[in-house]
Amino acid sequence: MLGSRTHLATDDLTLVKRVRSGDQRAFKLLVERYQRKVYAVALGMLKDKEEAMDVSQEAFVKVYKYLDHFKGDSSFYTWLYRITVNICIDVIRKRGGGGEAVEFDESQAVDLSEARIGALGSRLGTNPQKSALRRELAEKIQEALATVPEKHRAILLLREIEGMSYDDLARTLEIPKGTVMSRLFHARAKVQKILSEYLELDEAKSGVGGE
Amino acid sequence: MAGNPACERFVPMLSPYVDGELSSAERVNVERHLAACRDCTGRAADLRAESGLLRVGLDMAVDDVDFKDFTQRVMARVTPDKPPFMERLRLAVSEMFLYQRTAMISSLATAAVLVLVGLPLLMSDRAPVGYAAERMTVKSIQPYRNAEVAPVVMETDNGGTIIWLVDEDSDVLPPSGVESGERQDKTGGGQPDGNGRSVPARPVPDAPRPSGGSL
Repeated sequence: MLGSRTHLATDDLTLVKRVRSGDQRAFKLLVERYQRKVYAVALGMLKDKEEAMDVSQEAFVKVYKYLDHFKGDSSFYTWLYRITVNICIDVIRKRGGGGEAVEFDESQAVDLSEARIGALGSRLGTNPQKSALRRELAEKIQEALATVPEKHRAILLLREIEGMSYDDLARTLEIPKGTVMSRLFHARAKVQKILSEYLELDEAKSGVGGE
Repeated sequence: MAGNPACERFVPMLSPYVDGELSSAERVNVERHLAACRDCTGRAADLRAESGLLRVGLDMAVDDVDFKDFTQRVMARVTPDKPPFMERLRLAVSEMFLYQRTAMISSLATAAVLVLVGLPLLMSDRAPVGYAAERMTVKSIQPYRNAEVAPVVMETDNGGTIIWLVDEDSDVLPPSGVESGERQDKTGGGQPDGNGRSVPARPVPDAPRPSGGSL
């Protein structure tokens, strides 16, 4: 699973020290440990599988190249994700236009009145019978993510994929904790609105009411 | 914001609430509000569902990817030019002891046992020499010409030679055409052929069987 952090056999910092002393195998272990999560972040950011794969590899190559710059006063993975997110943002900017996402005005309160409150929670719940809908929505969520500005998207992805605390998110993205909270709130509200609209549309098409 | 006016204050706190990032005092306040507000309870449920969906969606997408070559590709890009042989050897040995310690120890133990058991077996000369040799077969018998005694030379298949001395039997008549007084080995001895060449000796068919002599 992407979101769970298990007890690691050899901690990241020990592996980093070994890499610095020329142990290639230690770096291989780091790559194997984080490749899926780094790819998931890149995919969530870019939405394109090929690009996500290239960016993931590039992130690890950069990490190796600049390993001497890593001071070890923060976690290895926050540094790795910072590099990954920065490469993704560069790629998005090079694409030009910034895509469909429009920057939020964070000073403005989010109006949730349009969204159907509780629609997602009540339709999904934890019932495995609803796995088909869950799958459908899980695919839809990629599209919803693309509408969120990249900085907000990065926070949302790192929170959900890596389960980072707000303090870690602040360190990774080098922003105040308050900004983390605010961006996360706006990003979630946006994704939720799109998913709720999709659910409404789905219900209207199939003529299904609430379950 | 629709519904309860208190929602305006609590809605932004729902996201950190579901993430477990509120202080205990804030959490108590939010939970008190949730107990009284159906809308915010629905919003909190939506946030949890969305969080789960995002993880499931990305898990599904990542599961479709084959990471078999990923590490190799990265390593190929970061591996510097080949280090000197001794350096590579040092690294390989240290990595083996670092990452495959158990396998290395068991391999070394197995090798030690094999050496202790196998080496004495290999060193011991199991094949006895001479008559007692396991696969000794007589390949040819070559009696020497003009020998006073009739030795039988036997060659074994492992390259050894056994010389078997046969007592001379003087009672045997010389073959016809041989001058009287010329000593002829009954069990062989070359005979000149018509062209003056020496013909290899052949044992006489009705000659008495040679008895064993001393080596």
